[in-house]
Amino acid sequence: MDKGMLDAAAGAAAKSPRRATPIATVSNFVAIYGLLLVLLLIIAVFGALRPSTFFSAINFNNILMSQSVTAMLALAVMMPLATKQFDLSVGFHLGMAQTLIVGLQVQQGLDWPVAAVLILFLSLLVGIANGMLVTLFQIDSFIATMGTGTLLYGVTNWYSNGEQISGMGLSDSFINLTQIVYGVPLPAVYVVIISLALWIATEYLPVGRNLYVIGANVRAAQLTGINVGGHVMGAFVVAGLLSGFAGIVLGSILQTGTPSVGPEYLLPAFAAALLGATSIKPGRVNVIGTIISVLVLAFSFSGVQQLGAPFYVQYFFNGAILIVAVGLSVYAARRRQRAAVNTSKA
Amino acid sequence: MAIDAPQPAIEIRALTKRFLGTLALDGVDLAIGEGEIHALVGENGAGKSTLIKILAGIFPADQGEIVVGGRRVNPYAETVPIAFVHQDLGLVEELSIGENVALVAGFPRRGGLISWKEVWKQAERIYAQMSIAPPDPRAPVGSLTAAGRAILGIVRSLSRNARIVVLDEPTASLPGPDALHLFDVLRRLRAAGTSILYVSHRLNELFGLADRVTVLRDGRRVRSTPITDLTTEAIVGDMLGRELQIHHAPSARPRSTNALLAAEDLRVGNQGPLSFTVGRGEIVGLVGLRGAGHEVIGRSIFGAHPHASGTIRLGTDVLPADMPIGARIGKGIALLAGDRLAESALGGMSLRENLFPNVQTVSGALFKPIDAARELGVVRDTLERFDVRPRDATALIDWLSGGNQQKIFVGRWLATGARLFIMEEPTAGVDIGAKGIIHRLLRNIAEEGAGILVVSSDFEEVATLCDRALVIGRGAITSELAGPELTLEGLLTRSSLASGQGERVH
Repeated sequence: MDKGMLDAAAGAAAKSPRRATPIATVSNFVAIYGLLLVLLLIIAVFGALRPSTFFSAINFNNILMSQSVTAMLALAVMMPLATKQFDLSVGFHLGMAQTLIVGLQVQQGLDWPVAAVLILFLSLLVGIANGMLVTLFQIDSFIATMGTGTLLYGVTNWYSNGEQISGMGLSDSFINLTQIVYGVPLPAVYVVIISLALWIATEYLPVGRNLYVIGANVRAAQLTGINVGGHVMGAFVVAGLLSGFAGIVLGSILQTGTPSVGPEYLLPAFAAALLGATSIKPGRVNVIGTIISVLVLAFSFSGVQQLGAPFYVQYFFNGAILIVAVGLSVYAARRRQRAAVNTSKA
Repeated sequence: MAIDAPQPAIEIRALTKRFLGTLALDGVDLAIGEGEIHALVGENGAGKSTLIKILAGIFPADQGEIVVGGRRVNPYAETVPIAFVHQDLGLVEELSIGENVALVAGFPRRGGLISWKEVWKQAERIYAQMSIAPPDPRAPVGSLTAAGRAILGIVRSLSRNARIVVLDEPTASLPGPDALHLFDVLRRLRAAGTSILYVSHRLNELFGLADRVTVLRDGRRVRSTPITDLTTEAIVGDMLGRELQIHHAPSARPRSTNALLAAEDLRVGNQGPLSFTVGRGEIVGLVGLRGAGHEVIGRSIFGAHPHASGTIRLGTDVLPADMPIGARIGKGIALLAGDRLAESALGGMSLRENLFPNVQTVSGALFKPIDAARELGVVRDTLERFDVRPRDATALIDWLSGGNQQKIFVGRWLATGARLFIMEEPTAGVDIGAKGIIHRLLRNIAEEGAGILVVSSDFEEVATLCDRALVIGRGAITSELAGPELTLEGLLTRSSLASGQGERVH
């Protein structure tokens, strides 16, 4: 009897090979928190090498201020990416919103809230247009959004005639949107609020799970009754609204309307979203992974800069990171497949 | 071991493989003679796939050796002359049939450039060599039926003149006549000296085909003997290590007058007009040969395929043709799709998410937080009740065997509270143990008042599981079998008559 029970217990143990072994626990921990460890490591290393400058409040605030725009854009691309769709228009979209928010105030004399509402309405339309091209007209999102993005770039240059719009006469209340309050740059606060909302939506609401289900298998999603078109449309609309909002924030930071600004944010945004997929929720893009990735990219670049790297290093940096990020997520996916071999024994 | 083939083409000795402390293979011996069809059977998890993956060089063995043609080989490190045809045939959907053949057989060239004329000819020739009427080699793979794809997969793997072929569940999606045709091809290959390792869950088909059978259980070889010494019951007993309880449908089930589903003059695709009912508590088989196109009938009821005319009634409600899938799920209709990988599985997602892919169908709202405690409770229940391995809500669906995956997908629909289940090939590629569990489960669902429409080409399953069967041929219901008439033989006869005898010449 006792022996039989022992055998049964041993059999049960053998049949659940995914029981936590010390090695499995450590590798699981690394898979989930690896990126966070990297971030801490980067801060520690550069902090040790350049303690006076790297750890200064100015440096941290600079990074938080400038990277908040990247973070919003990374979250923007992340939403369609959850459904395996690309939104390449966000960079141009950011540029348009940034030019318009300054231009509408300085040239058309609108109050900033009115200008902001107009821009967000425009962003909504752009999101709907992207969503319609992808869901209704079945155009590959890569192509469709490259097209709409270029159109937006045209709008920006048409409006500004390709010239910088001086921010002379911008109201204080607009400029104060991005001031530092109690030592914290406001844009960082916006990012925290947006991240929180998106984290709840993607992790705790049915709508978020639906997005990931669509990304995993569109056909299966349709056959479980998910309104695929509606969700993909929604993801593009969120991407559009976030891009517009990021542009308004950027306008307040720069205090000039610069039509050429925008496209250079696209690559870091994608790099962060994709690198984020290697951590926290390994194998899928996720909000917290994306935010950590933005910080990893920003702190490591800032550190390298302080060690005396010339300005053009950032291009090497961004390009390499994009490749490494995708490489890592492919590697993570393969590791998980290998876990399959270890788990189901036949 | 008493009767060893005179000269083994491949010999496996004391093969052992361990995964994280679990013995997947424990000193397995296996010898296949030249010109022998050797069946390899065992439940999911018995070690069949591990053995095949070691032969295919996907991972190395921990111990043991593999001898091919008298030479010790290591498939993990070198290419060995073994051809593999997996359940997932590895066809490139976007390319033509001829190109898919050439991907394995090689692209014929003229002056260094691909000679397309020769590519098409080569495909036709290779089909013809196996006495199979070749499809148009320029047609895309997507235009083939599931049976046509399976044949293409086998045909092209054999084109390399491999002397040893491993067939993993080749008939999983083949209807009876096509399977018989495949067996002809295999026998011809055997006569020519090819050695075949044949993995299958359909034990009946092994008799009259295989020469010897090896049974694995829990990573160990239980037996390796000539099949003529064995009966199905003996093999099943070896596989399970216990007696199998086969559920037989109650023979004289009262016909329900209270129809849950009623289709009237339904026309969909090239099917129809059809009229039939499914009663509450009834399991009805909708059978036809693969390629008959009868799958669209079930799909139109679920809303995944538009119906052209006629009415579909669920209880007293008429379902309009343009009613979306989501709304139909809300009415209590479920579709267990036939193609598990392409239409049900959410790769890279957890068992929990695979059980609850669309929370809206359970809780009704898109923006109401997911009730995690309730979900996890249902997940734990499902894993327990259906004996899913591993029993871990966070495990990825990819880690499960086909049988265990299917249990999850059945559970998915139970969670939506469906009352009409449309099930396409509910146990295709599922091992015999899981099959029993799924069948019992379906019977339970029916007894609780649901109606089940089993859309299948697996006559054995329909004969065992269903109360009543509708045989579809040329788009119409040609006969209806119930009670003592509902047997494997009865279904085979009626359906081959229904499809027209002149249609499937080989």
